[in-house]
Amino acid sequence: MNATKAIFKKQLKATGANPESLIQFIIFPLLAWALGAMIDTDTMVADFAALPLPYYLIDTLIQEMQSSMPNMVTMQATIFAGMGLIPVVAAIIADDIERKSLRFLSMAGVKPVAYLLGAGSVVLLLAFFSSMGFTLVDRFFGRDMLIFMGAMLSAVVGSIVLGATLGIVCRNVQAASGLSMPIAMVLGFGPIFAQLNDRVARIFNPFYTQQLNVIADYLNLGTSANPLWHSFAIMWANIAVLVVLFTLVYRKKGIVQ
Amino acid sequence: MVSISMKNVTKSFGGNEVLKGVTFEAHDGEIFGMLGPSGAGKTTIINIFTKQIAADAGEWHVSVPSNEIGLMLEHDGLFVNLSALDNLIVFEEIYGLARTLTLEIMEQVGLTQAAKTKVNDLSKGMRQRLVLARALLHKPKILFLDEPTSALDPVTARGIYGLIRDLREAGSTIFLTTHNMEEATHLCDRIVMLHQGRIIEEGPPKEICEKHNALKTTQDLESVFIKLTGGGLQ
Repeated sequence: MNATKAIFKKQLKATGANPESLIQFIIFPLLAWALGAMIDTDTMVADFAALPLPYYLIDTLIQEMQSSMPNMVTMQATIFAGMGLIPVVAAIIADDIERKSLRFLSMAGVKPVAYLLGAGSVVLLLAFFSSMGFTLVDRFFGRDMLIFMGAMLSAVVGSIVLGATLGIVCRNVQAASGLSMPIAMVLGFGPIFAQLNDRVARIFNPFYTQQLNVIADYLNLGTSANPLWHSFAIMWANIAVLVVLFTLVYRKKGIVQ
Repeated sequence: MVSISMKNVTKSFGGNEVLKGVTFEAHDGEIFGMLGPSGAGKTTIINIFTKQIAADAGEWHVSVPSNEIGLMLEHDGLFVNLSALDNLIVFEEIYGLARTLTLEIMEQVGLTQAAKTKVNDLSKGMRQRLVLARALLHKPKILFLDEPTSALDPVTARGIYGLIRDLREAGSTIFLTTHNMEEATHLCDRIVMLHQGRIIEEGPPKEICEKHNALKTTQDLESVFIKLTGGGLQ
């Protein structure tokens, strides 16, 4: 417990010393709000209505447009949890390995789980405030807010463990950015494309970011193909797999260069 | 009591045999020096003792768990975005020590004035003192020092020698690698000389110098090393 607390405080101080790194945690909720405010569906409906097409076709087009228009909070929250956080965590771990700091922590008796909990908790705390920002933008309250926060924080935990695994694999910040960014892009943007293509949705169904997207969509639309617990179960199964992967990678590669 | 020991340890990196049957032991309350040029295998030996790498063959033993070991290595591993004091506080909290101990050790290494300075803004010598403070903070039973005074001015180096001797008086074992023969002469109770992965001489510095007729006005380990290897230290 001492070790986890010490690493948590150390990471908090290090983050405070680099305020630029906090921009990640602010920009996504802000973008969700700004993009949501910019899209004027009333004007779009009027534009469709003015098209010289049969009435039934215009009606279909409007319905199609309204149903397929991605919700900006859903979109930004998925990108934030999937794409934004993985490189952040990978860089934190890779930096501590590259500078050999982890070697000294390890010699002091800090176990990898304690380190991961300490460093990861800072990211989780900051992501908690970002997630609260998303709930305010999308006006989730009460039960909806709890479901959304549960889904967001589950996805954040998944990204923390995945980022940590990539950080250990890469062992330096440059390599960590190189490897984590494409993986993060796939996990962050995949669910966005899945909204537009059912085949893509089927491919991404087993991933936690897709399930975050499904839950956020359910909260906005009120319908879902599967019950909520189904999505949560997939997310937690993802986390369990990622924890096993982290343990395997840690045992194979260690945390010392 | 034997504190650390190695018996017939060998280690290769990509076909290059760095350690060739190294055997020695260091005892409790001893300052044990390992002398040799860069690339002789000194750091590899520390890495084996601290479980960072495994030897290919042979036996090695450390009498205490890793959290009772102090480390001062070439790569300092400091948290560069934190202040000097905050770096020590991380380890103070891990070990569950009192803040007064941290402040005391900062004073002993002469860093009180720089306590709030970020590591990135410290000079190389100050960083080295901070690393030593971190290594000494929990009063380790065994202290591994890899070239501890290589970047320090003579006055600071002497201060550090004093701290190392104090730790020895308290019963700790200090394992020191250096290519500074004068440092080894004045500080170490016993030394081994390592050359191309083999131990070529072992014993108290004075006895080694006597054995090789290198007792001039002061003990001259460097001439012993040159005599034994045909080359100097880089």
